[in-house]
Amino acid sequence: MTLYTILFYLLAVVIVIATVLAITRRSMVHAVIYLVVSFFGSALLFYLFGAPLLAALEVIIYAGAIMVLFLFIIMMLRDVNLLEKMFPLSQWAPAAVMAVIYLVVGTVLILTDPGARAPLIGAVATPRDFGRFVFENHWLTIEIVSLLLLIALVGALYLGKLSRKSAAPKSEGNP
Amino acid sequence: MTEPGFVLPTLTLVALATWLPAVAFALIMIFLRPHPRQAAGLSIAAVSVSLLSAVWLLIRHWHLSTPIHFTVRWVASGDLTIPFGFLLDPVSLLMLTVVAVICFLVQVYSLGYMAGDPGFWRYYAFMSLFAWAMTSLTVSLTLIQLYIFWELVGLASYLLIGFWYEKFSASEARKKAFVMTRFGDVAFFLGLLLLLIHFGNLDIMELNGPTPAERMSPLLLTVSSLLIFGGIIGKSAQFPLLTWLPDAMEGPTPVSALLHSATMVAAGVYLFARLLPLFSHSTTAMAVFLAIGTISMVAASTMAMVSRDIKRVWAYSTISQLGYMIMGLAAGGFFAGVFHLTTHAGFKALLFLCSGVFIHHFGTNDMVEIGRHGGRSLKIPMVCMIIGAAALAGLPPLSGFFSKELILGVLADRPNPIWVATALLGVFLTAYYTFRLIFVILFPRTVDKVKVQHGEDNHADRTSDRLMGWPLIILSAVTLLLGFFEAPLEHFLARGLAAVEPAGGHTWVLFSSLGLAAIALALSWFEFGRRGADQVGFVERIPWLYDFFAERWYIDRFYRFALDRFVYRGIAALCAQNDQKVIDGSIDGLSRGTVNTGRRIAFLHTGMIQYRLLIIFVAMVLLGMFFIF
Amino acid sequence: MIVSFGHVLVLSGLLFLLGTVCAVTRRNLIMILLGVEIMLNAATIAFVGAALRWHDMEGQVFVLFIFAVAAAEVSVGLALIIGVYRRTGSVDPSNFNLLK
Repeated sequence: MTLYTILFYLLAVVIVIATVLAITRRSMVHAVIYLVVSFFGSALLFYLFGAPLLAALEVIIYAGAIMVLFLFIIMMLRDVNLLEKMFPLSQWAPAAVMAVIYLVVGTVLILTDPGARAPLIGAVATPRDFGRFVFENHWLTIEIVSLLLLIALVGALYLGKLSRKSAAPKSEGNP
Repeated sequence: MTEPGFVLPTLTLVALATWLPAVAFALIMIFLRPHPRQAAGLSIAAVSVSLLSAVWLLIRHWHLSTPIHFTVRWVASGDLTIPFGFLLDPVSLLMLTVVAVICFLVQVYSLGYMAGDPGFWRYYAFMSLFAWAMTSLTVSLTLIQLYIFWELVGLASYLLIGFWYEKFSASEARKKAFVMTRFGDVAFFLGLLLLLIHFGNLDIMELNGPTPAERMSPLLLTVSSLLIFGGIIGKSAQFPLLTWLPDAMEGPTPVSALLHSATMVAAGVYLFARLLPLFSHSTTAMAVFLAIGTISMVAASTMAMVSRDIKRVWAYSTISQLGYMIMGLAAGGFFAGVFHLTTHAGFKALLFLCSGVFIHHFGTNDMVEIGRHGGRSLKIPMVCMIIGAAALAGLPPLSGFFSKELILGVLADRPNPIWVATALLGVFLTAYYTFRLIFVILFPRTVDKVKVQHGEDNHADRTSDRLMGWPLIILSAVTLLLGFFEAPLEHFLARGLAAVEPAGGHTWVLFSSLGLAAIALALSWFEFGRRGADQVGFVERIPWLYDFFAERWYIDRFYRFALDRFVYRGIAALCAQNDQKVIDGSIDGLSRGTVNTGRRIAFLHTGMIQYRLLIIFVAMVLLGMFFIF
Repeated sequence: MIVSFGHVLVLSGLLFLLGTVCAVTRRNLIMILLGVEIMLNAATIAFVGAALRWHDMEGQVFVLFIFAVAAAEVSVGLALIIGVYRRTGSVDPSNFNLLK
């Protein structure tokens, strides 16, 4: 049991607890903060697994950009937190049962699979190597992804404009 | 026909004769709608060139020994080829000329008759279509080609019969003509298919050769002959399908002239003459044809005896004369039938065109009315009509006399005397009703001098009279003279097909037919012509007979009854029931099932995305488990 | 060695389940979107673990693309949520059942 192993379990516990806390918070701001913690844990995990660039990106994009975007949106929507109702138990139950089945079956499957027992040998993909690899083998995909991001940008702008226009006569002075 | 120098001019002439009217038709339909005069000019120019080509062809090939045929492959699909081409033999040359002459004369006549009609351009377009279809029909190489133009002739006559389509009766008449000929054409087509399947070839020359009898069983030959004859019955208005022709009088009179003399109804007899060698393989079929021709001849003559409508009388007489032709052909008298077809084309066109003048002048079809208004004052049409009527009645020395005597001679050769006896009866009836009409117009019982606004009318009327007069005079001359060309024509035709005429020598037939015609003439003079005659025919004195004839032997009634009982009440009811129960029912059931199913599973659809997410999740878990275990 | 590959997969599956639970049980559009983010994150963990397991950078490249897709999805999804919130004043998914 090396230091890395201990670190892994530690991070796993942190991630799971933070996520559980995140998804059970009634306040969405709290949920987002807990999720940021969870993503920081993931970033550390990536670092542990020898992907420093991805760890940095996880912090920047997930914990940084996306979660901040969520926070902004939550702040734009006023007082909806308290309105949230939970589902009745009758609808909860099948989902919970399925979840338990999934968990048990998945864990058993993974742990009994001989391939899963393969140890992870430490290795590091430096940002230089990673970048070279990406742009040597997947340059076309990068272009396509950039196109996707552009489309998402345009779509988000358009949707924002559209909703403002349609909402304008109804809500007076709302942002 | 081997050297190209001989074939090429012939080919050009045939193409000119047949396809120029088609060109005229297309040009008129496309460009000349607003120019009726130019349309008429173009149409007449086309048909006159066609006429010249036809006459030239006739002269050029007067000493034709073997038929000329020219073939191109029209459609080739796999091992199926449909040839297209021209076949020129004496019959088709003669018929082509006759058609072209009649078309030309009728079109010239129509310049006067149809002057000022709003559909003038349309009229000439259809006339060109008619001319094209009929001339092409005569020179068709194969039966398929003939069938195509046969249908085009039907279409053109449909368009022309209903030319005044605003009139309800006209549109009814066109529908009737179309549907009734269609009955026959279905049979015709089935016959063609039968021949095609069992003989494999529809080339007219090969069909007329000895091969069909070798390759097909007698039963098949009989059946296909009868089926093809069904088409002839429909087209030539023979016995069961004869009622459309009198109704077709709703069209303009020149159209009737064209329809009756040279084109529509003649097409049937022409086809019969064309395929006579094929038909004559089957004696049963020939006997049936003879019977049908006889029945139509007698039936139509009796109907003509009681009609007061001048055009209808001629229509019935057409049917009966066609019956004569078919009798003659069916009895084996090839030349007799074709010759009667030719002479009949002349005098029947003459009769119709003359009646057209009367109708144009007095605005009525009723012969009594025409007589009362002074029909005899129109000198030229009256004289011409008497000539035509005498030819129809078979009086010498007119063309009808010669051809009718030929047919009678052929019939007298038959061992069974009943055919010649009925034919003689027909001669009597024909002479009777023909002169009944003439006398009614010539010697009206009461003359009320209604001022016919014709004397002081304008110039245009007189030119139209002159335009209508010339064709009459030409046709009268043809009627007077054609009979004397019997011998050369026979010589010409007999070379084409080796149908040897038996030497006649039945002088008693000649004398008895003349005697019967004379008796009929006298009878009609006694009843209609003499001073103080009450103009009531002997048929009209017997009410039930009169009813029987006037109702056209109840054939129309029977059709109406059959239509009501079987088509409307039987098939239509079945269709309605099918529509309600099966189609509506199934659609109703389907929609009700859809609605019910939708209701039943609607509770699953709550409109919550999360339920769908949940279901997706569950499904994926289950799927994963399914694939793993 | 760090740990056996199976443990990484269990962690990832657990996170995925948590994301699914969040997306399915919370009656709030933003939380549903958060759940989707958690699921994507779980997937990235599995990919990074697999990249280490086979010492192949393809897995890491895939994570990069998942980041891009997640960013795009969140931006458009949040824009949609803003839109429906402006229109109806609610982010409860049960209110959006006009197609029912």
